[in-house]
This record gives sequence, C-alpha cells and structure tokens, in this order.
Amino acid sequence: MSTPDTFDALRSANPRLRPGFASSVEAVAARIVTAEVAPAAAVRRRRPRFVRLAAVAAVVGVAAGVAALTVGPRGGTPGVEDATAAVRKAATATAAAADRSGTAVVRISHDGELWAGSTIRWNGDDISVRNDSPDRAGKVGGLTLVVGGTLYARDPRTGEWLDQGSPANIDPDSGTTPTETLAAVREDVGGVTLSRLARGVTGFSTSRVGGSTVYRGNVAAGLVARETGFKDGQELRVFPFGYVAHDEAADPAALLDAALTVGADGVVRQIALSWGTWTYTVTYSGLGTTPALVAPRNARSLLKERLRAVSGG
Amino acid sequence: MRQDRRQRFDALFQAYGPDIVAYCGWRAGSPSDAQDAAADVFLTAWRRLDEVPEGDAGRIWLYATARRVIANQRRSRRRREALHERLALEEASRPREHEASDPQEALVHEALRRLGPADREVLLLAEWEGLTPSQIAAVVGCGRVAARGRLHRARRRFRAAYEELLERPERPTTIQLAHRRIHEHA
Repeated sequence: MSTPDTFDALRSANPRLRPGFASSVEAVAARIVTAEVAPAAAVRRRRPRFVRLAAVAAVVGVAAGVAALTVGPRGGTPGVEDATAAVRKAATATAAAADRSGTAVVRISHDGELWAGSTIRWNGDDISVRNDSPDRAGKVGGLTLVVGGTLYARDPRTGEWLDQGSPANIDPDSGTTPTETLAAVREDVGGVTLSRLARGVTGFSTSRVGGSTVYRGNVAAGLVARETGFKDGQELRVFPFGYVAHDEAADPAALLDAALTVGADGVVRQIALSWGTWTYTVTYSGLGTTPALVAPRNARSLLKERLRAVSGG
Repeated sequence: MRQDRRQRFDALFQAYGPDIVAYCGWRAGSPSDAQDAAADVFLTAWRRLDEVPEGDAGRIWLYATARRVIANQRRSRRRREALHERLALEEASRPREHEASDPQEALVHEALRRLGPADREVLLLAEWEGLTPSQIAAVVGCGRVAARGRLHRARRRFRAAYEELLERPERPTTIQLAHRRIHEHA
C-alpha cells in the first residue's frame, strides 16, 4: 500500500462526507437561532454564580445567511396562511418522526446565562433525563433513567447506580417525574404545543437560515405555559417539561416572541420563546433515530436492600 | 451598528459553521456534546465579535476557541461522571451514523485509535480540516516548527498503524471497532 492510498483512505473518512453532516450543521444553526435577548450589560444579573453551560438558549442573533422570504403583516394575508399551514404540516411530520424515539434539549436562560435545563432522550417507553442545571456548587449532570419499566438513579454519596424499582413510586403529580416528562415529550413533539402555536402566533415572518426555515411571530403565553396551580397566592404556570414561566410569561395574555425552526426535511428542529431577558428553547434531534437506552450494569437494588434490612438479613 | 454585527456574525457562521461543526464532531465526547460545543463557540464569537479577526484568521480563531470549549467540556465531564456512567450513556446515545460500516473507514478509525491524542489532533487538523502547519500551531498553541515536526511524526505513525492493520490476517470486525470507539477521540 503506497502512502497516497493511506492518506486518501484517511481523507475519505472525513466526517464532512457522511450523509448526515449537512443536517448536523443545520441542527447547530437551529440551536443558535433563538429570539433576541437583551444585551447582557443592560440588565441585572440575578445568578452570577452560575456557570454558563451550552450556548443553546442564550445566543443572540441569527446564523447562516438569513434571507427574508415573506413577511406577513397581521391579518390573513397569503404569507401568513402559508406560514400557518407550513407550521401545521411540520407539526404533523415531527409527530410522526418522533413517535418512536428522539432527543430534546430544553433550556431556560436568563440574561444570557443558563437558568435551568435538561437533556431528554426517549426510545419507546424508555427515557433518560439529565439535569443540566448547575446546582449551588456549580455541579451538573444529575441523571434519571427509566429502562424496561425500572427507574435508575445515582447514589449521591457513592456515585453507584441504584435500581429504584417502578418510576410510578416517586413524586407523582410534580410534573417532573419520568412518566410525566415522557408525557410532555409526547405532547410537545406530538404536535399539540405546535398546533397551539400555529393557531395562536400573530405577525408571522419567515426567513431562511442555512437549509432551515424559521417562522417568527408573537404568541400569548397562556397558549404555551399552562396553569398548574397556585404558589404563594399566585397562579403558577409552567412550560412543557415542567419549567416555571417567570415574569411576563406568568401572565397568560402576555405576548412572547416565538421562533419555530423547521429543517429542510420538514421536521421541527427548535421551538424558541423569549420575553424580556428570558429565553426558553426546546431543540430536537435524532427523531426516530435515537438509539435504545441501556440499563446500567451492576445497579444496586434499593428494594432488595430494604427487604434485607427489614428482615434483618 | 447592531445590524452590522449581525451581518458579520451571519457571514462568519455561513463561512465557517460547517468547519466548526465537523471539528467538534470528531473532538467532542459525544454527538450532543459536539453540538453544545459548536453552539458555544458561536456564542463566544457573538459576544467577542470585535476580537474575531477578519478573513481566514477568523477561522483559526474559531478552531482555537472550539478547542478550549471542548477542553472545558471534558474537564466538566470528568468532574461529574465516573467512567462507567460514560460507558452506559454514550453507548446508548451515540448515533448509528457515527459507526463506520465501510471496512476501509473502520480501519482508518482503528489506526487513529492507535495514535496518541496529540498525534491524532494534529493529523486530523491537517487532513480533515485542511490546516497548514502554521495554522495548526495557532490552534494548538505551539510553535510553527514544533507543529511541523508533530505533524510529520503523526503522519508516519498513522501510516505505520494503517498498513499494519491492512497486513493483519484477521481484521477487527466493524462491531468490535464500534465498541472500541467508545474511547476513541476522547
């Protein structure tokens, strides 16, 4: 084998040449495209101790050669109707693509810094939820995993995996259990949230970002953040995946800036909402292609340990 | 003014977005880390747009930034995850598209796995990213002569590893290679 052949082989293994590369670039562009956030210097920093994580939710501006296609004024112009129809169509396509599996990265940022976030992967009824929000010590990465109807979590003291039995046993009705998160996933990517957005967004404008199309407009907060109860005498509203709607977003009539990014394949890549100095994004990837989740090996059974303790064994 | 910034940022992403996505793809620990890193690089670029050099030097600035972002990611990952957690999760989350089904590509990956991280980095910066030794020096933070020497040695080692694999009677199967790639490029 001559040297040129060796290096030809190396060059032909360049990841740029893989079929899915263009969609990887699109996915990054979609994560950069979010509604505008006020310049960081102009607003008060509430939680400066937090380490900023992934840029996902915080980026200002737009990427990759934005070219306005249509700008639909308020009212029923053809441009608006087209955008509404396109978003509905994308919602249907997304629901079909996500039926089996997918990955969603959820971020709430405030003043350009990560406030809360999680990464959710699902495959059938299995799901993993990684908490990407830094705790007070700046640590991230708490993980909950449900595989084959068994809940696994890490022992905070030893770091070992614990088999915690059925996920139905934990913290029901909090909106954040694995089952409820999976339900939120189904609702969100199943098109319910998207359909509400498509119906409720006013002032649609459409632009192209790389191979993706971004639909922007305004939407009433109440269409996205649903009421879940009261806290301290005030109505509590949460976005899909259990994140509390702060400030203006707590008012159901408040208009939020919305941006829906649809990839070249017609599937929604990102939902982005912004208000004041807040941004909420859900970014989808691997819809229909996210691999099966695997149960951790050598997980310690909490149930067996408790039974042993009770029986004195 | 804000419009000018945005136009410049858009142009920067259009010109170099694919480069940074590709680089993060082979440098980061997982596909989701790669996307986080690429997005973080452009967030940094937006915030420090005045410091991003014009022209091709801007591309090198982005590569160097991506390298630091990924280094931070790895430090953070090491702090928060034990090795067995990584194995469990990455095996679950690694997209199938990253698995080489082509036997020649599988050999390339196996040969790359046999290189040290420093060799692999300079080699792929040259062969996959198309950087010159001077540009590699700027990205990895070493002298031009040192970069040239490292690249020469990396090429020699890669060639030796690849040719040894080609001559081996029993080549590793794609599945074996896919399992080994859990550690690859880490």
